[in-house]
Amino acid sequence: MAYDAVSVEGIKYLLPELVLVSGILTLFIITNLGDAKIRLPLTRLRIPALLGGNRFKWNSDPRLPGVISVFTFILAIAMLIQTLGGDTCNDLVEKFCAETTILTTTGNNPVDLLKLDSFSRLFELMFFLALLLVSAASINRLQADSNPSNDDLDQLLDNRRQVDFHLLLLISGLGMTIVAMSMNLFVLFVGLELASLPIYVMVAFHKESKAGTEAGVKYFITGAISSAIGLYGMSLLYLWSGSLQLSVLEATWAAMATPETLPLFGISLLLVGFGFKISAVPFHFVAPDAYSGASSPVAALLATASKTLGFIGLMRILMIITLPETGDAAVWMLAFGILSVVTMTWGNLAALGSENPKRMLAYSSVAHAGYMMAALVAVAAWKNGSFVENNSGGVMAVELIIGAIIFHLFVLISFKIGAFMVISHLETEDEVTDMSSLHGLAKREPIIATSMFVFMLALAGVPPLAGFMSKFLMVTGIVQVASADVLTNTEIDLIPTFLGMHWTFFLAISIFINSAISLYYYLRIGVLMFFEESTTRLPLPKVSILRFVILLCALATIFLGINSDWLVESAIEAASTLFTNS
Amino acid sequence: MAENKLNDGMYVIGGLFIAIAAMMFLSPISLMEDDWVTLPLIGLPILGSLLLMGFSSAVPAWRKESISETIKYASLGISLIVLTITSLMMTDILMNVHWANITFNQYMYEVEYNWIESIGAEWHVGIDGLSMPMVWLTALLVPVTIITTWNEKKPWYYHPLLVLMGGCLIGVFVALDFFMFYVFWELTLVPMFFLILNWGGKERKYAAQKFFIYTFSASILMLLGIIILYLLQDPSTANSSITGRSFDMHEMIKNAQQEVILGNIWLGAGTQKLLFVLFMVGFLVKLPVVPFHTWLPDAHVQAPTGGSMLLAGVMLKMGGYGMFRIPISMFPHAVVEFQMLLMIIGMISLFYGAWVCLGQTNLKRMVAYSSVSHMGIILLGIASLQPLGFAGAIFMMFAHGLISPMLFGVAGAFKHHYHTLEIGSMRGMAKHSPWLGGNMMFSWMASLGLPLLAGFVAEVAVLVALWFEFGWWVIIPGITLAITAAYYLWSMQRTIFEGGENTQPPESLGDEKPKDIYLTEKVGLMALAILIVIFGIFPFIFFEMMSGYSSELIESVLLDEISGRWG
Repeated sequence: MAYDAVSVEGIKYLLPELVLVSGILTLFIITNLGDAKIRLPLTRLRIPALLGGNRFKWNSDPRLPGVISVFTFILAIAMLIQTLGGDTCNDLVEKFCAETTILTTTGNNPVDLLKLDSFSRLFELMFFLALLLVSAASINRLQADSNPSNDDLDQLLDNRRQVDFHLLLLISGLGMTIVAMSMNLFVLFVGLELASLPIYVMVAFHKESKAGTEAGVKYFITGAISSAIGLYGMSLLYLWSGSLQLSVLEATWAAMATPETLPLFGISLLLVGFGFKISAVPFHFVAPDAYSGASSPVAALLATASKTLGFIGLMRILMIITLPETGDAAVWMLAFGILSVVTMTWGNLAALGSENPKRMLAYSSVAHAGYMMAALVAVAAWKNGSFVENNSGGVMAVELIIGAIIFHLFVLISFKIGAFMVISHLETEDEVTDMSSLHGLAKREPIIATSMFVFMLALAGVPPLAGFMSKFLMVTGIVQVASADVLTNTEIDLIPTFLGMHWTFFLAISIFINSAISLYYYLRIGVLMFFEESTTRLPLPKVSILRFVILLCALATIFLGINSDWLVESAIEAASTLFTNS
Repeated sequence: MAENKLNDGMYVIGGLFIAIAAMMFLSPISLMEDDWVTLPLIGLPILGSLLLMGFSSAVPAWRKESISETIKYASLGISLIVLTITSLMMTDILMNVHWANITFNQYMYEVEYNWIESIGAEWHVGIDGLSMPMVWLTALLVPVTIITTWNEKKPWYYHPLLVLMGGCLIGVFVALDFFMFYVFWELTLVPMFFLILNWGGKERKYAAQKFFIYTFSASILMLLGIIILYLLQDPSTANSSITGRSFDMHEMIKNAQQEVILGNIWLGAGTQKLLFVLFMVGFLVKLPVVPFHTWLPDAHVQAPTGGSMLLAGVMLKMGGYGMFRIPISMFPHAVVEFQMLLMIIGMISLFYGAWVCLGQTNLKRMVAYSSVSHMGIILLGIASLQPLGFAGAIFMMFAHGLISPMLFGVAGAFKHHYHTLEIGSMRGMAKHSPWLGGNMMFSWMASLGLPLLAGFVAEVAVLVALWFEFGWWVIIPGITLAITAAYYLWSMQRTIFEGGENTQPPESLGDEKPKDIYLTEKVGLMALAILIVIFGIFPFIFFEMMSGYSSELIESVLLDEISGRWG
């Protein structure tokens, strides 16, 4: 079904986004009620409204903005679930699915703008969940003033910083959902920037830390440059095909007899932009600085939602444009394969030596990006190769792999955010700059320490936690691609069997080797928490909401590992809609 | 502050209940009439111990001492329930099962539930003549370990961890689904990691990490094997799964068996060999054999007594059990092809382990290397490809599962009462601590294979099978057994007897007077000693079902390959 995006039929499909917009307006209006001077968000500028006097006590409460944004995200999720379902998918308990709807521009010759299907809806859900956890964790977090020595009561009761922070979160969420739905490079870019610009600011928001501003500036400059490069790539693609629609680009690519320079150059430039988002080597250098400089909830956002943005871009562009059903090869395959191995190895080796838990988590995030890139390469190899399709009754290998990536991005929300929340909880006591903050945590806070250990094991991929399932699915997909030709041949002996594997088999091997390497630094966290002595035995300051989020994440990590059926079905459903054109 | 802690624990207990309720709701595991495995043997110890640990963490630190007795008795109670149920299973009382007469690939107490339907993973459990001894051994060792190490520090976490460990191990032995098997296989690492890390010796930090990383890395190769095997399934068999495949071991063994009957090689020779190598690496590291044994001495020396007892008693047997259950049952062609290699590895392992023992001065390290040596016997039994050899290998797993916990229990008691593990530091222990000295002597005699004790039966069976298969090669194990006797007798002389009346206790004891072992230690060690004697005199209690399983295995899978080799 295709609707006009601004018509009544069309707009009802955008209810979650409308909820976000109304959340932004509510946050702006409510926190200015009663004040004679309306403050423009993110500035000190105040516009005289000439009505009222001072603000009320209740709307200058520092916790109010957080509560508003939490409720907005909950409402958005409710609206999202409400838009699901339809004729072809009525059982949401079985799997997450949505009817495919396309929203177009007005006019006689409509251009596809947004596509609402299981793929984009699932990603919307992921973004909302991640943002919900982050905003919930930030309710108690920010002080009214970045300078804690200032004990002016008015300053303490002011919620200016909180309003700004949660406003940025909401705007960023809006941009993310647009990226998830976009069918058009222009919309994709607008969404990407709408999501990224608030994140740049949020990275620099952590003014309590000395590194905060530096991290923000670094992240902003690199991010802006990579966006600009990506934009240049898009313009080259436009120059080449005359359209920014993904479907048109796909058709033009398929019609291309031999690879041409212009689109290849354009695509590679686009990859730079997304490579920065997923922090792939060699665009990963800023990631550790940004993660350690930003406040932990924002770092959690960078490691999950922001990375997911990059992978949506990669899936939309690499999988849709450059991998048509018919037509020529994915030329980027080999280069991307090598990069993926370098990324995961570099990430893990760097994490081995890092003494700052946030930097360690950043490098582990780089390594995870490498795993997922390797999975993308296997998809390309399958589509590109002339394998015997041995799939009577089974799901396609590509759908399994893409499903595994989606699964991984989803479960990252539980354990990656959980890990950053533990660090955030430690930061309520003192700034976390090295591993000594984790020393003896098990004696001070047994539950928090156990949760952290669960997150670490999940990151390492130890069964039966959620991180194992995703790695398992990914490797299964890759091995299926790599061994398709060899294993069915019953005539040959051991060595030829091994040598006959497609080269993507070594991606699976390198994922395994890297998992073994990474286990060392993940376990080390456990050892530090359960073995080393800390200087104090007092429990951490009590922040109920943070504790609640951590326990929720830990339970989700275990639950999604033990009972992953629903999520696997949903992810594979989403993956299969990525490949169906309609 | 106390209230704050209590709240946390309430969170956990509440969360656990919610999680269990949610799981029950989403994938209904109803305790059907015949399901004596899922909840009683696996669910009870795992969930029970998690609840106990959650409860302990809820209690503030200054009140923990007051609950320690409760927690200890609760853990012991859980493990005794499990032991009772498995004993009823073993003695045919619970259901009328003739363990010796089960045909190959037929399982008792078999249950199947859908688990992760989309990828075809099932909760599939069952017990046969191979897994019954292992399950019973696990169920037995957990309460024995709890009793022997009754006075360990921080019992509110320690004893539940032992129970948790037992639940995970039973999960490995009853799993008939590759996914479930792998999950439990890795899950056993977590409680052992904590046991070593929190209650171990000086170098425990290093040992715990090495243990976890080493064995995890090896089992990753096994995971690769599982994935390849999974992908090789006919994608139209499992309709409910979206990949169209399943992890069902029962089904795969059946397929392999059918191909053997038809005279084909299941999956092709090259693939079989590839899979065989991948699986065997995982199992050989776990067993362990030379050259993959380096994690074992570190883990054993640093582990607490209870940890060592379970590690040597059951965890090593996971490797041997896995070999029988997967590579030997599924890849007969590859087994026969690699027979010589297995034999050579077994010989090296057996000989090297014993040889290194001669030079050890640390008691635990010596016992650890003797484990490596005995695991070589298991591999030799497998390499013989004779029913007697197989049965001997399985009985070796069982007998070593009784003897090595006793060895480590004794070593732990020695460490506890004399504050040292040096073999030569103590002379004339029989005078100072007759109970400890007596138990030590008995366990060493059992380990060197004294007739009428359990280890002897297994060794004789394996050696006879080796003689049938390889002829005079049997001299090497023969010599090694002499070396084994040598190092044990030499240590015995130095530690227990020499010196007579006027010996001085070791310096590490300082001004303390040498004490004898506690009552709990006596009870635990004597229980093991009695069982060692019983199974030495009446081995057929288990040997019958083991040899039944072995001859079924050889007849239904391996015989064609073995006879085909001779022309």
